[in-house]
Amino acid sequence: MASTACFIIVSRNDIPIYEAEVGSALKKEEAVQQHQFILHAALDIVQDIAWTTSAMFLKAIDRFNDLVVSVYVTAVIIHTRLMLLHDSRNEDGIKSFFQEVHELYIKILLNPLYLPGSRITSSHFDTKVRALARKYL
Amino acid sequence: MEPDVSIESGCMIRVAVLPVGEVPSAELREYAAMLSRHRRVELSSVSSFYAEHQKSPFGSQPWDTGSLRFKFVVGGSPPSPWEDFQSDRKILAVVGLCHCPSSPDLAVASELFASACRPYASSALVARCFAFSPSDAQLEEGNKRDSNLILFPPSDRQAQELHMLTMMQYIAASLLMEFEKWVLRAESSGTILKTPLDSQASLSSEEVIKAKKRRLGRAQKTIGDYCLLAGSPSDANAHYTTAIELARLTGDVFWHAGALEGSVCALLVDRMDQVDAVLEEEVKYRYYTVIQLYRRAFIQDNAQRVSTVSFEVEAALKLARFLCRRELAKEVVELLMGAADGAKSLIDASDRLILYVEIARLFGKLGYQRKAAFFSRQVAQLYLQQESVCAAISAMQVLSMTSKAYRVQGRGANSRLQEISDESGSNHVDGGKLQPQSVVSLFESQWSNLQMVVLREILLSSVRAGYPLTAWSAAARLLRSYYPLITPAGQSGLASTLTNSAERLPSGTRCADPALPFIRLHSFPVHPSQIDIVKRNPAKEEWWTGSAPSGPFIYTPFSKGETNDNSKQELTWIVGEPVQVLVELANPCGFDLNVESIYLSVHSENFDAFPLSVCLPPNTSKVISLSGVPTKVGPVAIPGCIVHCFGVITEHYFKDVDNLLLGAAQGLVLSDPFRCCGSGKLRNVSVPNISVVPSLPLLVAHVMGGDGSAILYEGEIRDVWISLSNAGCVPVEQAHISLSGKNQDSVISIAHEALQSALPLKPGAEVTLPVTVKAWQINLLDSDNAATRNASGSTGRLYKEGSTSPLLVIHYAGPLTDSGELQKNDHSVPPGRRLVVPLHVTILQGLSFVKARLLSMEFPAHVSEAHPRSIHIKERLIEDVDGKSKTDSLVKIDPYRGSWGLRLLEMELSNPTDVAFEISVCVQLDNQKNDLSLTSVTDDASDGGYPKTRVDRDYSARVLIPLEHFKLPILDDSFFGKDGQADDASGNKVRTNVEKNTKAELNASIKDLVSRIKVRWQSGRNSSGELNIKDAIQAALQTSVMDIVLPDPLTFGFRLVRNVIGEESSDLLKTSDGSILSHEMTPLEVLVRNNTKEMMSISLSVTCRDVAGGNCIEGNKSTVLWAGVLNGVQIEVPPLQEIKHPFSMYFLVPGEYTLIGAAVINNATEVLKARAKMSSPEGSVFCRGPPFHVSVVGAV
Repeated sequence: MASTACFIIVSRNDIPIYEAEVGSALKKEEAVQQHQFILHAALDIVQDIAWTTSAMFLKAIDRFNDLVVSVYVTAVIIHTRLMLLHDSRNEDGIKSFFQEVHELYIKILLNPLYLPGSRITSSHFDTKVRALARKYL
Repeated sequence: MEPDVSIESGCMIRVAVLPVGEVPSAELREYAAMLSRHRRVELSSVSSFYAEHQKSPFGSQPWDTGSLRFKFVVGGSPPSPWEDFQSDRKILAVVGLCHCPSSPDLAVASELFASACRPYASSALVARCFAFSPSDAQLEEGNKRDSNLILFPPSDRQAQELHMLTMMQYIAASLLMEFEKWVLRAESSGTILKTPLDSQASLSSEEVIKAKKRRLGRAQKTIGDYCLLAGSPSDANAHYTTAIELARLTGDVFWHAGALEGSVCALLVDRMDQVDAVLEEEVKYRYYTVIQLYRRAFIQDNAQRVSTVSFEVEAALKLARFLCRRELAKEVVELLMGAADGAKSLIDASDRLILYVEIARLFGKLGYQRKAAFFSRQVAQLYLQQESVCAAISAMQVLSMTSKAYRVQGRGANSRLQEISDESGSNHVDGGKLQPQSVVSLFESQWSNLQMVVLREILLSSVRAGYPLTAWSAAARLLRSYYPLITPAGQSGLASTLTNSAERLPSGTRCADPALPFIRLHSFPVHPSQIDIVKRNPAKEEWWTGSAPSGPFIYTPFSKGETNDNSKQELTWIVGEPVQVLVELANPCGFDLNVESIYLSVHSENFDAFPLSVCLPPNTSKVISLSGVPTKVGPVAIPGCIVHCFGVITEHYFKDVDNLLLGAAQGLVLSDPFRCCGSGKLRNVSVPNISVVPSLPLLVAHVMGGDGSAILYEGEIRDVWISLSNAGCVPVEQAHISLSGKNQDSVISIAHEALQSALPLKPGAEVTLPVTVKAWQINLLDSDNAATRNASGSTGRLYKEGSTSPLLVIHYAGPLTDSGELQKNDHSVPPGRRLVVPLHVTILQGLSFVKARLLSMEFPAHVSEAHPRSIHIKERLIEDVDGKSKTDSLVKIDPYRGSWGLRLLEMELSNPTDVAFEISVCVQLDNQKNDLSLTSVTDDASDGGYPKTRVDRDYSARVLIPLEHFKLPILDDSFFGKDGQADDASGNKVRTNVEKNTKAELNASIKDLVSRIKVRWQSGRNSSGELNIKDAIQAALQTSVMDIVLPDPLTFGFRLVRNVIGEESSDLLKTSDGSILSHEMTPLEVLVRNNTKEMMSISLSVTCRDVAGGNCIEGNKSTVLWAGVLNGVQIEVPPLQEIKHPFSMYFLVPGEYTLIGAAVINNATEVLKARAKMSSPEGSVFCRGPPFHVSVVGAV
């Protein structure tokens, strides 16, 4: 498991709708904030790269210091971005992680009471994501 | 590292700009700006100052197109250890700026400048001091002196600029000549060039040999630098090429890179105007090589002391700046990320700072706002690590630049966001409901964690920098937007930060960013019904119609404000009349919020708002009423409130909170501040279109004798005096009273004319109106209610809960066209007003009706000489059940009329009250329907001759009402049929709808009849009224009304015929009161009157009965003899005429006899049949007259 990993889902409107600190390292508040800052900044890169490739998984598109940002972009209409800030190089694991979380996210989307673009508050989702992070990262 | 480097920076001559003596900052800035306009000096313009002393080393200098470039460093900079390596890092010239008025002694100034130049002595080739605005004395003195001090005589700006230009050209020429000198010297004698990389190198013999070899290459590179500075790129290129060759041969990697860099610069300067793809590729290729070379120059040994990383990073930044275009974003990003990675290896903190600044700038230029913001924040953090105030100010400024990308900028800065919310606000009003998607877009890029961090850093830096307003604004934004994420202790901390910041601000400071509380519009209170405003329709006489809400509901839930059109609400305010607006405040934080003052913010400047002071305990919300007075005619817009809280004045917009609540409802925002304060969800109140109209009259009503309710018994009639006074400042010119509410029919009369005659009602004037009210019954039947509602028609309905009292609705208005003010908008008419005066009436139970029934009585008439007086005779019959005052004489029945079948209505009344009632019954007999000559028109009912019936408390009484007088004089078909066409032409025709019409007419006649019966009562001295017993009477009459109302087709009468011989009989009559003697022939007449309009042929019969009822004319034991025809007399009776049929009788036995006339109508019409209730179409109608009494006395 990676020592540092920050996972965020960003909606089409660039609002973070889910945030999770899934690294095994001790979480300091400042570090968490820094992670989010890095991910937020990486959106600029994502928005350009996402349109140049047909792949959903964009690996290591941005980095700051030792931390690397990998992104998984969902289909155009929803255009949700799953962003992971990590320090591990386990590309396959990250890809699988993204794919499985994408599935979970689709399940959330299918909920008629969920307004696309609003915050994901399901605790079930949270548990599953953390389990996946332990499994793959 | 240096800020703002680019590939071209290799050709810039660095000039230190130093203030000399005291120079006020404004002047310094102005002078520096004037100087910096000359960054580029054309070679062609320099030529006049240029004197070629020797053969110029710059053989191919482009005198026509070339130029010298300057880079002004205000305040100078310490000499760089790398200035041998890159000559553009040298300070090659010094320019002093002197402000003469503050440095009177030019000698001192000159000395000061000389000492200021000293640090640059090694490198500076030219030094000049510009002295501005010298006095005349100074000018004189300066002209004598021969120094570096150049006086700029005071003149206009243009002349000064020209002067400055000339001076710069002069400096440029001097520099050019110095460069030539330097290059010539370097070419001839060589020069020793060192970098920090070499200085510590161990001086082994090998090294020394190496250094000697390299020297030439380095000299060539430096000469190339000077060529570049001198504006001769092709010369530079030649030298650089040599230098590159030499450096490659000697393995001088670092200088190789430098020369290569210089060659690229020369290339670019040479082909300044035609940058194409090929050139770009070339530049890119060479620069990547440069970067590689610098990387290779990195020597691990002395990495701790000196590093080439900064050159590598700088080269990357230079290339990135050159390539910085959207299309090449990917490449630039790679370069910048590589540069950012280099940050760790940079030893100097300020290098890192510069690196991040440059990266942020380049990302910003690329359009990557978030990336730029990220690196800006890194810069700010580096600044914050320093403890100085200046660093804090820089941090604050850098952070405030990032605030846009993080969407936390203050409202003062972001007009765009304002527009967005404006649009959404208007959408909101128009569409009623915002689409969920657009709600989401309103909260785009809400990274609350980051936003909080950024705001906190802004707060921290501004506090440290001593900018209280910025600190206040940041704390306000932090508190307002992120209070749910802050602990109560943190909230209190922010509150005290706000207060502390405000203490350092002048009082009355305004801030664009609101803090607490949250304010939303609660409602606009409806005008109280007393000052209701009604739109005026000048085209109509009844100008108020159509303006009141109409529809099936008396109370409409939409009738907030003036109209019930909820999509576009309109509200009318009146100049000079105070209004109120309810707003709700919420304090979701954990401290007491003290709002020093709050008032409505009106931008239209026609409204005086009254401030209010509120204190909100933690986690509470409060609805307060803000008031104000409109001062001028025109529209009023209320976008929000002005709040004075935490020592600063802020404006709070309603729509911001609306948007926030909308976001909260969609789960996009952290929390709804109102809900967490326990306030319920409120429907969205949009600000209606408010317009202010000129002053209107204002009527104030009060009921004379106190506004308490009048206490009346059921059916009591009383006058209520209502006084209306005009409390406005405009006269009332039109006024109209109508009724509304329940029990409208209880108002009998309103003195309309009293009101009309009082118009126009001047301000302050008063008018008193009597209104007659008849108390209604307590428990209203549903049918009554329905009737009331139908009657109310189109008049404005007003709802007053729980009240059964009727309402007087007074519509009134001022003059139609107002003087002056209204001329501008001529199309609008000042509205009118509506005053609703409830007639407060409390009803007590009065006499109660128990039951009614119809009684029949038979009073046989006497036959006498007198002709029976025609039908209607006034009579009154009153009987008292308890028999106290029974008087026979009061029964006025004409004995000769034959009142057979007299009907009486008996009503039983009880008195459950504690007062006594006196009852009188009257029947109004004026038959308005019938315009034919009435046989008798009776007088008014009030007849003093009859005592009233007194009903004591807790007793019951019966009242009899005779119903005989309602007979119509004529029986004709018009009574049965309304269509009347069959009247003359086809009178005998069969009517099919007779029955139907009968029914309808019947009801009408019953109503008519019932309405004429009045039962009045009086109790005590001054209360009197009428019983409302119509229904009871109607019920009682329903069955037999036909008999009561309709006359018989034939009226029979008998009378004695006075004969000439009968002297005695007349005597007898006198004596015996109309009795007849037995054993005497008595001539009699039967009178038959035709009550119809048609000729009638009848067969008349007369019978006589004795007391026992036996027929005494026919049969064996007949006791009466007769002469004339008594049976089957065929007579034709003309319409509405009377015929006589004489006969005589001879009574054998004295006693009481009864004469009865009867007739069979042969040619009975349908009408008659209907009257007789005959169902068969054929056959004849049989009529019988009332019995007449004949008393026969025996012969004496």
